[in-house]
Amino acid sequence: MVRAFVLLALGGPDPPAPPGPAPPGPAPCRVLYARAFGTPPGSPPATGGPPRQRLRRKEQLLAVARQVASQCRLLQSSSGRPSSPQLPQLPDEPISLQDAPGGLFQLPPGDPFPERVTVAWLSVLALAFALVCDPRENLSLAEVTLRRLAPRLLASLRLLGPGADVLLRPETADLLLDRLLPHGQMLFLNERFLRAMDREMGIKPSR
Amino acid sequence: RPGSRRPLPPAREIQEEELRRFASRVAALLQGPELGPEAVDCLQRLHLTVAATKYPRKLDGKFVELLQTVLCSSKCPEQIQVLCAAILREMSPCNDLILSCDEIQDTKLLSLVSSVLLAQGNKKAEVSAVGQRIVKVLERRLPEGQSAQYLLPVLSNVISLSPESLTEEQTNVVSRKMADWLRYASIQQGVAQPSGGFFSNPRTRQPGPVTEVDGAIATDFFTVLSVGQYYTQDQWLNVQAFSMLRNWLLCYGGKGLKTPNSDDKSGMDRSVMSVVCTTSTSSRLLPPKERLREKAFEYCQRLIEQSNRRPLKKDDGDLQKACLIEAVTIMDIICKQDSSYMYRAASFLKILHGRICGDATYARALLPIAQFFLNHSKMAAVDSDAIYKHLFTDIPAQLFHNPSLAFEFVQFCKDNSQLFTETSSIFRQSFPNLFKFLAWNSPPLISEFVDLLPFLLDAGTAIEIFHLLLDLPCLTAALDIQLRSTALPTSERAASDPAVKPATCLEAFRHPLYKSMFQYLLRTKSAPEDAPERLIPLRQLLGSLASSPRVVQCAETVPVLLELFFRVVAEFADGPLINQLVVLLLQRSDQLYEIPAFKDDVYRVLSSQLVMLCKLHPALIVELSKEILEFSGTVSNIQNKEAIFTHVVWAIGEYMSVSYDKRCTVEQINRFFETLEAMLFEITQLRPLASTSSYAPRAISVLMATLTKLAARSQDLIPRVSMFLSKMRTFVQSPAVTSVYCEEDLEEILIRATELMNLLKMPSVAQFVFTPPVDVASTQFQREVNDSLPFALRIVTHLLEPAPGCMPG
Repeated sequence: MVRAFVLLALGGPDPPAPPGPAPPGPAPCRVLYARAFGTPPGSPPATGGPPRQRLRRKEQLLAVARQVASQCRLLQSSSGRPSSPQLPQLPDEPISLQDAPGGLFQLPPGDPFPERVTVAWLSVLALAFALVCDPRENLSLAEVTLRRLAPRLLASLRLLGPGADVLLRPETADLLLDRLLPHGQMLFLNERFLRAMDREMGIKPSR
Repeated sequence: RPGSRRPLPPAREIQEEELRRFASRVAALLQGPELGPEAVDCLQRLHLTVAATKYPRKLDGKFVELLQTVLCSSKCPEQIQVLCAAILREMSPCNDLILSCDEIQDTKLLSLVSSVLLAQGNKKAEVSAVGQRIVKVLERRLPEGQSAQYLLPVLSNVISLSPESLTEEQTNVVSRKMADWLRYASIQQGVAQPSGGFFSNPRTRQPGPVTEVDGAIATDFFTVLSVGQYYTQDQWLNVQAFSMLRNWLLCYGGKGLKTPNSDDKSGMDRSVMSVVCTTSTSSRLLPPKERLREKAFEYCQRLIEQSNRRPLKKDDGDLQKACLIEAVTIMDIICKQDSSYMYRAASFLKILHGRICGDATYARALLPIAQFFLNHSKMAAVDSDAIYKHLFTDIPAQLFHNPSLAFEFVQFCKDNSQLFTETSSIFRQSFPNLFKFLAWNSPPLISEFVDLLPFLLDAGTAIEIFHLLLDLPCLTAALDIQLRSTALPTSERAASDPAVKPATCLEAFRHPLYKSMFQYLLRTKSAPEDAPERLIPLRQLLGSLASSPRVVQCAETVPVLLELFFRVVAEFADGPLINQLVVLLLQRSDQLYEIPAFKDDVYRVLSSQLVMLCKLHPALIVELSKEILEFSGTVSNIQNKEAIFTHVVWAIGEYMSVSYDKRCTVEQINRFFETLEAMLFEITQLRPLASTSSYAPRAISVLMATLTKLAARSQDLIPRVSMFLSKMRTFVQSPAVTSVYCEEDLEEILIRATELMNLLKMPSVAQFVFTPPVDVASTQFQREVNDSLPFALRIVTHLLEPAPGCMPG
């Protein structure tokens, strides 16, 4: 099962030095949208009540985002790619995921989830998408799922254009996830099935 | 900030009063006749406000109730429902929840409401309640227009959160349905939903059969790899059912109840010789669990066959591979739960392995296949050694640069760590290959290797792994060159002229002078190297890659692994091994890849670990006196390897004593004394014409201290040391020295010299201080190098120079 999905803005490398006071440092990554599918197994009983549980959930997801941002940065630098994102494409241009950086890593038990989890991530320009999976999950399917979620989320939420629409349209992301990752269940959908699903959601094929 | 609407104040800063007013406005809208764009807009802002803070926002209990009512209202547009659910989930866990799934008939709404209930943390057994409701709905025939496809994912989530939610009877109900969905979905394509309207043709076209991914007409029952333009309900259920099949079988397929992640080793109750052949006529008589198992097995077989087809759409290829991996994994689970499937599975998978083992794009699928044979080969009596050999010898060497494969391969090793303990096994022998994954993909794999390394390490592999760790960044560089060399067209790959020195690393790869060195570094099997200095030219050659980002990332993992290495080795190493390691440690300190930060970090780790080894085996100072004398007598070591030098000298002072080794003679002590005295002389010499170079102050301190300690044990030396120490005042005050050392350091040196001189005025005390009985746990001497001596000295100095007025008479 997928325990959570996170969509994050990667934050930046050091911005170019403007005249005036020195910038505070690289912009931290930000969680733009996150969805947890139930309380992670092994969670201690609710000490401190609901606010504490909610806080724990938010902190866990932020911790995942930070790790993804860090892994992404390290991967970019190891492959010699420029760390600053390229200019955003026109919103209508099909997004090529061909060379999109991505990877897999584990988070140990207790940090931040009670049990060990594996994170699959994919990065497009200044954003990243991450699936928090059980350790024995089918990671090939996780990567396929990310490659399907990313362009659809980018298009529906107009993430590449100006404005932070995603923060104000959680239902759009929710509806997409309800189809492609319902309740955290990854689906073995072939291309035609996916097309049929797109049709139902009213997404035009972009190819 | 949103661009399409008027700018909002940051959501975090919205005050409680303002929020309350806003909520009232939203409530008014929600209770109004029509829920239009304004309601959507407000709900979206409300969601943002609630989500933006880490501490929960207080919303009126009545308002929260209203949200739940709106969510469940059938007249409400879907967008509004989804937004209400999102807000409720964002606030979860929530005390004001009155939601219940008991009365909801609409499956889509049930799914949405379940998402809120499952986010409550299961304090009130919400998970079980949802599970019960879902099964109840699934049991009965669904009303027209309702589909079970929205319910299966909820069920899957329920059982992964809390498998005890369902009774055995309920799991049987679902198992029965799943078997049908998996096996008997229609193989005709679905029809387009009629669009209606004036010009639409009421006669729908006759749908054709579904096809395989390569376009051929479907040859057998419907699976996730079946293709059509439109899909029927039962075909959707087929996809859903397969997607949750593994989880379901793990939970309920074996004897009794198992949680999804536990290892199910039960079910081996059928005898080896009974091969139960179930035909489709008799299968209807099987109990639900067994029937599902049978259908699942057939489904997996079909998927594996279907994965052999070349897909028309490239992306279907990725799905084929994911399906293949899933199918093999499920077969493995089935065989664990019912060993009568073993023979069919084993022969089938052997053939599959033969088919894909030469195809690099299928490499990840080799792992579950190997896992299957590891789990079952004893029973299946299949010779699977060739499979393991190929997996461990060829795959890492060819595909180390594939990060997903690297990750999964290392997980596989961790899952099967017991394999590495057998000395002669192919797994153990292949550890040099495994490190290639780490060398190339350091950031995601370092923590995995921290877990794995202890299993690779024992008395037989320690030395080789020591060298390997120190050369890990070189391995990265060599792999880079190997990749580039393989990418060259064959025409450019001519072997270089042996007489001409290679101009680039790439040329050197095939040059006879360097070829064997590369081959050693890139070896796939363990091969202890007797002469590690043989790689020196290669390290120098690879120096041009020392600043490449990947090499640097790899270098950063080495200190962590080295510390772990020594921690593990300390548990089993005997005297001879420790000696060997110390000798190599000193030797390799000259033979490190030239990355400045890397060398400093390695020196730091090696020096502290040296101390640890001395504590374990103090006699090594005497046993290795030749090597240690040589090391401590080389002046350049004080500059180039200060950390190691300082700790070596400290160790000499500490352990060169008859208390630690009866073989320690006066001659040896004197020999060490002379060597170290010469070193101290060298670095504190004031040359009138040449400029003074500065050395690490702690090196000076530790030399003085060690000389004092040695003199305390061989008291003829005391006058020499005292005289030397008295000269330190001149040294510290000379202008040539004050210009290159900082004032605090010089003061510290002088204080130390004075303390040591005072100590030597009372030789018997000095002896006591510096030669503690070995069997007494004298913890103050086990502190850091720089702390232990001052503590002892200050006590003694305090005794020797009491505060004025304290001493009687």
